[in-house]
Amino acid sequence: MILDGLLPVLISVALALLVIGAVRRVSLWRAGQPESVNIVAGLLAMPRRYLVDLHHVVERDKYMSNTHVATGGGFVLSMALIVLVHLFGVDSQWLAWALLAATALMFVGAVFVYKRRQSPPSRLSKGPWMRLPKSLLVFAATFFVVTLPAAGVIPAEAGGWLLAVILLAGIVYGLGEMLFGMGWGGPMKHAFAGALHLAFHRRAERFGGGRSTGLKPVDLGADILGVDKPRGFKWNQLLGFDACVQCGRCEAVCPAFAAGQPLNPKKLIQDMVVGLAGGTDSRYAGSPYPGKDVGNARGGPDQVITEGLVNPETLWSCTTCRACVEECPMMIEHVDAIVDMRRFLTLEKGNTPNKGAETLDNLIATDNPNGFAPGSRMNWAADQNLRLMSDVKEADVLFWVSDGAFDMRSQRILRAFVKLLKTANVDFAVLGDEERDSGDVARRLGDDATFQSLAKRNIETLRKYKFNRIVTTDPHAFHVLKNEYKDFYPQGEGNYEVYHHTTFINELVKASALRLDLYKGGAVTYHDPCYLGRYNGEYDSPRELLAELGIELAEMERSGFRSRCCGGGGGAPITDIPGERRIADMRMEDVKATGAELVAVGCQQCTAMLEGVVEPRPEVKDIAEIVVECLVEEVH
Amino acid sequence: MSDLIRRDPRTEWITRNRLHPLHADVLFSGGGATGAVRGPSGLIRKNPHASGFIGPNGIKRIDRLAALKGESGPVAGQRRGAAKAATEVQLPLVTVENPDFYIVAVLDMVGGRLTSHDKDVLGQGHKLAAGLKANGEGEGVVVAVAFGEVKETSFDTAGADRVIHLQGEQFEGYSPEQRITALQVIDQQLAPRHWLFPDSVAAGQELGCRLAARLGERPATQAWQVDNDSALCRGGSQRIDISRATPRLLLLAEECADPIDETRHEAKLIELDNVPATLSRIQDCGAVDVDPSQIPLGEAEFILSAGNGIHDWNQFHAAAEVLGATEGASRVAVDDGFMPRFRQVGATGTWVTARVYVAVGISGAIQHMQGIGQCDKVVAINTDAGCDMVKRADLSVIGDSGEILAELIRLVESRQQGGAEDAA
Amino acid sequence: MQPEARNENLNPTGIKVVSLISIGQHPQSGRARRAEQDARAVELGLNLVGTGLELLHAGEGDETVMRSYLGMGLPKMTLLKQRDHCDALPVLAEYLARKVPDLVLTGVRAESGEASGMLPFLLGEKLGWPVINRIAAIGEVVDGEVEVLQALPRGQRRAIKVRLPFIASVDMAAEAPRQSAYGPGRRAAIDANATDGVVDAVRTGWQESPARKKPKRLKVVKAKTAADRFKAATAKPQGGGGKVMKNESATEQAQAVLDMLVEEGVIR
Repeated sequence: MILDGLLPVLISVALALLVIGAVRRVSLWRAGQPESVNIVAGLLAMPRRYLVDLHHVVERDKYMSNTHVATGGGFVLSMALIVLVHLFGVDSQWLAWALLAATALMFVGAVFVYKRRQSPPSRLSKGPWMRLPKSLLVFAATFFVVTLPAAGVIPAEAGGWLLAVILLAGIVYGLGEMLFGMGWGGPMKHAFAGALHLAFHRRAERFGGGRSTGLKPVDLGADILGVDKPRGFKWNQLLGFDACVQCGRCEAVCPAFAAGQPLNPKKLIQDMVVGLAGGTDSRYAGSPYPGKDVGNARGGPDQVITEGLVNPETLWSCTTCRACVEECPMMIEHVDAIVDMRRFLTLEKGNTPNKGAETLDNLIATDNPNGFAPGSRMNWAADQNLRLMSDVKEADVLFWVSDGAFDMRSQRILRAFVKLLKTANVDFAVLGDEERDSGDVARRLGDDATFQSLAKRNIETLRKYKFNRIVTTDPHAFHVLKNEYKDFYPQGEGNYEVYHHTTFINELVKASALRLDLYKGGAVTYHDPCYLGRYNGEYDSPRELLAELGIELAEMERSGFRSRCCGGGGGAPITDIPGERRIADMRMEDVKATGAELVAVGCQQCTAMLEGVVEPRPEVKDIAEIVVECLVEEVH
Repeated sequence: MSDLIRRDPRTEWITRNRLHPLHADVLFSGGGATGAVRGPSGLIRKNPHASGFIGPNGIKRIDRLAALKGESGPVAGQRRGAAKAATEVQLPLVTVENPDFYIVAVLDMVGGRLTSHDKDVLGQGHKLAAGLKANGEGEGVVVAVAFGEVKETSFDTAGADRVIHLQGEQFEGYSPEQRITALQVIDQQLAPRHWLFPDSVAAGQELGCRLAARLGERPATQAWQVDNDSALCRGGSQRIDISRATPRLLLLAEECADPIDETRHEAKLIELDNVPATLSRIQDCGAVDVDPSQIPLGEAEFILSAGNGIHDWNQFHAAAEVLGATEGASRVAVDDGFMPRFRQVGATGTWVTARVYVAVGISGAIQHMQGIGQCDKVVAINTDAGCDMVKRADLSVIGDSGEILAELIRLVESRQQGGAEDAA
Repeated sequence: MQPEARNENLNPTGIKVVSLISIGQHPQSGRARRAEQDARAVELGLNLVGTGLELLHAGEGDETVMRSYLGMGLPKMTLLKQRDHCDALPVLAEYLARKVPDLVLTGVRAESGEASGMLPFLLGEKLGWPVINRIAAIGEVVDGEVEVLQALPRGQRRAIKVRLPFIASVDMAAEAPRQSAYGPGRRAAIDANATDGVVDAVRTGWQESPARKKPKRLKVVKAKTAADRFKAATAKPQGGGGKVMKNESATEQAQAVLDMLVEEGVIR
């Protein structure tokens, strides 16, 4: 049969094209900035990262998970066997049967992919991706048939010229999509780039159940601060962009996208791909940035991203809630990329929108975002009789008050928490006027210079005193203190424990340091703050604590790691990019859908955002406030 | 006419007879408004029955407060008040014929009238003059210098012993160079012991600095506690006080001294030697019309602010235009897209310092209340009498904002038309 | 709200503009910063002549502050280095007399120290140039003449024509300064020239202390009669809760509001 001679040639050519394409692609990534990665360890860890960590994420959608195992697994197996059987001509019935099984498996998987693509949800990209299930089917079917003679099922001479031509067409089409397309930017690129992305991921800590959410510091001595051009990203970030499968899960969970702000994480990543490869986004076939047409973006590795490829508004719409990162089956780091580009806009261009510049100026001049007198930081506690670290030098617990000290609403939360601390006889002290803004907002707004200055000065203060742990009511400060200050501590220092107040109160309650009554009131739901939940994995303590009060939570549909942002993170209320709706309003709709009369919150920013929703609406209270209401006070 | 006092028995009789139908007339017209009658010996007697009024319980009351307030009160009280006003005490006049020295105060005269700042400066002038007098330097006078058209009539009670009035085309509008020339002439003619200026945005700061630069004086600026020896001056950003010897030229902060209120002064005009015309390199092209709605919120002194309670936005904009107010908005109104973001008032928007802040349909979220903390007078128009804005407001009207705004627009428009007719 | 296109590098007018910058001070924290009025002056200058603008400072030249001005997009600046407490005027006047710019921009008042606001006038007197106080905007230069907008209280403006060269102090009403970018500011060059500073001798005799709170002026009632005294003693203190009108008609309510507005003088 003619195919016997042609097949190895075709496979060789396809493989050669794949290699050429792959080398070219790799060179595109290598245009990025250097970043040291342990290549060997990464490659060795890759299978596990794929099979375990990535699969955990994919498994949230059972249908897709099984489909992908069948299709992807079938393909990888088939390809290996095809090389053995059809390229090297290993004559083994066993191998041939295995190949038959593999292609059959892949075919079954592809059928499900095909079914899914019959009426795809809006989050999925169309275009070449609509072709992929057919290509998969053709590939699997063709190689199944081609392998039949080798397995001895049918004689080698079976079939006529017609079948041979059809099979030839199938082989060319199948190999073209699967191998050529993989190297040259087709949908199958994801397999090749994705595998390497997993191997060389910039946050290797995320694999194996770890967590890595702190932003990486900027080298303030660099020639360009932040990322101006696609070339300005680290090479493995560029690789990460290429791994995107355009599944649109990020789009489905993005609060800014839902609010009609001009951000779609999927489109953003695809624009980055356009940028790294050069060209326009005219071939993008997914949902656009809300309110913006597709086809106008143009970029290249050496063209400034915000001049033609991505509108700065897109970057400033992000609330850094990490919902996209959490959902991404390819573990792409959207937030890192967005903040990198924001850094360029703020540090190099001086173009932080709306109140951004003012906020940063205030942070520089007064160490708080609203420009209050630094000496009035403790005014809220004039009647609280708090001990100052500068007086006592040493305490078990350092209470990090955060900028809520200046906000009259947040002060109620602070007072409630102080009351709990006092009732439980906790040995605690505050920094008082020595405390500064944690730097969270400055950093998310891209001003790493101000963040680093605040962080270094805060660290200097913290190093003066002895304490065992820090507790704070502000998840943003919590995150920064816990995950982002380490980079600025001298080697071996900064090993303090940081607690969010919900965790801390929960511990107190468990240790019977607080006597609580049952909560009397209507239904309650709980809103997970992004910086507590997704950033730091604390989903349980607040829930346990509420359960202690006898509250049976009416959970929102989007809660826990899927919690929807309140719209208050990442400096979004400061940069204030207009959309069609407000994120806080949507979140309050989520709350209302549970029928709750009270939404428990663990973050002053969330409290402010949710209380900003026009009444009538469920009440908003911090967990500390709820606990204080249920506190049984000892009568002396 | 004879000095003999003639008795009128009939009047006396009517005066005694409180039930006589003419009793009241005779009492008040004949005897004067104070109810004074001539006693039997011919002496003027006060008739205690003539004052006061019958209170709601039928008991006679004497209302002394009504007389002071000048409010429309019961008849008797009003009469008494009127009489008092007529006999207003003339403050003692202070005259200085031949002054030993001059203290010259150059006044802002915004709109041709003395500002309270001007009065403070004149008060400071007298304080310095008194100090010099105590040091044995003789009697001095405070000279008020006013440029342009003057509508003020109370230079005397404000403490101006002398007035120099510089009028004429060359002093109109923005003419700092010509004005400095005139002040130089004054400097030569009077050789003032002190030059005083209000350190104000209106004009004082500029003229004071210009003159100081011209005369080579080092002025005390933002001076707020000044005597003959030392001046206490505010430094930059209002963060330091500088204590220094009192210089010849002072730029005085507001409320530097108490205004004059117990004496009257001559306010005698001083004629100035010929003021040479200066070649002006600065040409005033006149005022530029500024739309009140374009004034930045932070600068605005009168803000009409809209919240969630506004339903007719066209009417709101119309009201702002008619009132000549700068528009503000609550966060919700901005979020809902009815107002642009830069109009948002509050801790998360703009902190405003308006003198009058009218909040229409704003219940007053805590951030909003923080943002209007520095406003002098707050007016709330709201349907909810229990909301925080009403608690903060100096005047609250409870009702439908649409109706009230409509009425307000009507009233203001009719007022403006009325004003136009008056002028015509 | 920043203009879309900025003439960063163009200098269409071809005039030489110098902007004097000082060390500002945050009113709350007292920390050194970009002075607000000076920054507005720089913004005006940038919009007028782009990066052709020259920044000039006389003093110690706090590096962070200088760089925060430079971060507005200027590649270099001139620093006339002298110790604190030296008089800035002689060195500035000497420098400007040598350089002969067409326009010198300053703030109205410094944010620290004496803050007398004298500098533009003293410079004007020394150089013999006209000084315009508190400008909000500068128009185009036509035949060496330029129209500027002067800021008046209550957001009002006055148009003024003046011939170059002149000195203008910039009011807070001018366009807000652009954000200072850290990167370019850090990379910009500070051209430092040592000068023989003249110590401000007059100032050495002064005593500085943290600002005391100004006493609020009390309404002194000079009562002449018992009734006056009684009234003063029993008068309701101001600010003890506002007046609430609930049941009156809309007309009455509107009238009350109007009365208040007229009383406060915001409606004329």
